[in-house]
Amino acid sequence: VELEYGRQQVVAGIVFAVLVLLIVAFLVVVWRNTRRDLPLERVQGVGYAFRKRWLAFLAAALVVAVGSAALLAPYPGGAAGERTVVKVASGQFFFTFDPPRVPAGTRVRFEITSVDVNHGVGLYSPGGRLMASVQAMPGYANKLDLTLREPGRYPVLCLEYCGLNHHLMQGAFEVTPS
Amino acid sequence: MATETVPAVFHPRAVGEIASPRLAERRIGWLYGGTGLALFAAMGLAGLAMRLTQAEVLTLSPSWFYRLMTLHGAGMLVGALMSMMGALWYVLRATVPLSLERMLAAYGAIVSGVVAVTVSVVVGGFAAGWTFLSPLPFWAVAEWDTWATVVFLVGMMLVGAGAMIFFVDLLATTSATYGGLRRALGVEYLRGRDHDPPPPQAIAAAVVSFAGLCAGAAGTTVLAALLGRAADAEAQLDALWAKNLTYFFGHTLANLSIYIAAGALYVLVPRFAGRPWKTTKPIVVAWLATLLIVMFAYSHHLYMDFVQPGVLQYVSLTASFAAVLPVAVVTIFTAMLLTWGSRYRWTLASTLVFLGFAGWAIGGVGAVIDSLIPVNLFFHNTLWVVAHFHTYLMLGVILWAIALVAYLLEQAAGRAARASRAGPAVALMLLGGYGLVGVWFLSGMLGLPRRYALHPAESGYSLVASVFVLVFAVGFLLLLAELVWLARAARATGADRSRTAPPEWPAPVPREPTPVLASVRQRQAALVLAGLAVLNFLPFAGNAGEDDVRLHHLVHAGQFLCGLLLGLVVASTPALVRRLRLDLPGAALTGVIAAPALMMLAMVPAMYEPLEDSAALHAAYHVGIGLLGVVTGLGAGRLGAVAGRLLAVLAVGMGLLYAAGVTGA
Repeated sequence: VELEYGRQQVVAGIVFAVLVLLIVAFLVVVWRNTRRDLPLERVQGVGYAFRKRWLAFLAAALVVAVGSAALLAPYPGGAAGERTVVKVASGQFFFTFDPPRVPAGTRVRFEITSVDVNHGVGLYSPGGRLMASVQAMPGYANKLDLTLREPGRYPVLCLEYCGLNHHLMQGAFEVTPS
Repeated sequence: MATETVPAVFHPRAVGEIASPRLAERRIGWLYGGTGLALFAAMGLAGLAMRLTQAEVLTLSPSWFYRLMTLHGAGMLVGALMSMMGALWYVLRATVPLSLERMLAAYGAIVSGVVAVTVSVVVGGFAAGWTFLSPLPFWAVAEWDTWATVVFLVGMMLVGAGAMIFFVDLLATTSATYGGLRRALGVEYLRGRDHDPPPPQAIAAAVVSFAGLCAGAAGTTVLAALLGRAADAEAQLDALWAKNLTYFFGHTLANLSIYIAAGALYVLVPRFAGRPWKTTKPIVVAWLATLLIVMFAYSHHLYMDFVQPGVLQYVSLTASFAAVLPVAVVTIFTAMLLTWGSRYRWTLASTLVFLGFAGWAIGGVGAVIDSLIPVNLFFHNTLWVVAHFHTYLMLGVILWAIALVAYLLEQAAGRAARASRAGPAVALMLLGGYGLVGVWFLSGMLGLPRRYALHPAESGYSLVASVFVLVFAVGFLLLLAELVWLARAARATGADRSRTAPPEWPAPVPREPTPVLASVRQRQAALVLAGLAVLNFLPFAGNAGEDDVRLHHLVHAGQFLCGLLLGLVVASTPALVRRLRLDLPGAALTGVIAAPALMMLAMVPAMYEPLEDSAALHAAYHVGIGLLGVVTGLGAGRLGAVAGRLLAVLAVGMGLLYAAGVTGA
């Protein structure tokens, strides 16, 4: 399976890189200032004043990040409705899809389970971009709603360690031109 | 109090404040720190072999790749935990009379567990991953035998038991020393009722030990259930239940290794900065928040199990992000304030301490990004996950583990490591370490799955990663050489004064534990409850559970509860304690850890079903379950009000959890 970077992943990577640079810059500044000899009271006075703002900033970031993450969580609610249900069964070391293909633009509800051990369904776009990772657990059905617009072959890799052929466990889901 | 006289390795302002360690502290520091480093080195080689296989340089079979993966995960987790346990014990024992015997017992249990895990993997071929997610250990497709599974599970149980011994002693002794849990946690100080709060390392100890015991109980439960499944194929486990307990155990212990380290850093940083790290209200609030965060964060491992109850997903989402606050606003921030303008004393140990903060912060940011549910959809079980936890373990905890050993050696030698040797070694480790995790972060962004023996798209990345691992390994070896040089310097100068010197300040005296049921009324209430629980022994209770495995096990848990309450009453009654001579050394701890595990192991249908044909044997079996409860109660009752109560609750919780999760055929 040829892979390519996804847009969401690149955005997350850029955010991470910026934050890492800020951390490194902060630590370098601290490191340079460790050589100085300053009264603790003076350092604490400035530091504690800054800390209040730092706490307020992080608390605000928590509310925004956690709130939006909760709103955007991929957990489907309610019945499938007009969605086409695709039953995904996984086992050592295969995936089956029922039905095996849908027309492009179909609003799909994947119902994912396992017939033996825990597996993971990593659904990649025809170009090799990881679109979603959902676990397959014996005795349970995880439901994922997606609309697949691009026709082609969507590779599926196992994303939960499941035994000695885990790395060979692949499947594919077809999306035909509408 | 005698004070340390080696200003070369400490800040001049701190020298007068530092008490020389006694032999016991030094030995535990060495034992745990040295074992941790040995595990890191061995497991690091396993990691290198895995990377070279993914790079298609080595041709390990999938069987050996996944065996090494199992060993690497379990071994590194144990190494991190042991190093940090030793560090906290080393610094805390100056003021808290932690038990040397218990620490050695913990060591024995953990090392026995490591040996068992190694045998099961290397000889038995066990390769279900350190996560041993049910039911994978039993779907080996003829690659490993049941005995290998059993030995692995017993090994992990021993590791858990060792950690629990440490946590019990930490919780019982710290809370006894500072006058109860609320004082030890700083709650009374926060409420303005305590003007002499415990030092921050004691607050950290109370928090990590509380959370660690909960994690240990969860691990024991799922491991016992898996052992039952190994003995009896009908003892099926609910997969979601097992996954929750496994990650609550594994994630929490791995996470705690960092928080245990934080406890040690509260003592070590001031020695290099020459400024005290005092307990403040923000520190108390931070640790109380951390207690909640550590207990609920684990569920982010199940974000992509959409059937996980939503409340756990969103609580975990909040806890995982909120973990930033105590660390960024209090612990790391205060450490930076203490070092800023302090003329920080740069030695090998203090340098590694400082650099470890960078690994903690950077890895933490990678973790927080992944802990947002919509982002996790794209990163779950990709190499991004591997990248972030290696950042704070390899470039945080391992650096701190080396710092502990370097600290002991620099103190003993009375001089710092040579900057011309240690500097390049540390630089190589940083280059190799950050290069490695950098490649993994990129691989994760590409959607590369973790835990793949081979992936064609991965070989190029893995080749680069392997080069970085080698660079890290060279730095590590150079640093070890410098540590050996320091050890020789210590021996040559005879500066290791504590080997021969008597204890240089009086050892803190352990207090008599407070009874778990302190008043007559409490004991009466326990007896009433035990009387109600006796109903579980009556035939109608047994009949009610005849057709439902869960209900049947619930009745057993009720019988265990009955015995436990009776044991608690006996152990809380001073006259009975004296008369029955219940103060055998180690008996309380052994009983309270082993008996609940035995209770669950006895609840395997294949064990009790043959007995059901005979009324006498059936009754004896139920009495046996009750007696295990008595042993647990007697043990818990002798461990003090705080640890004893928690362990009693956890033991009952283990029985109930087992009943909930083991479903039968």
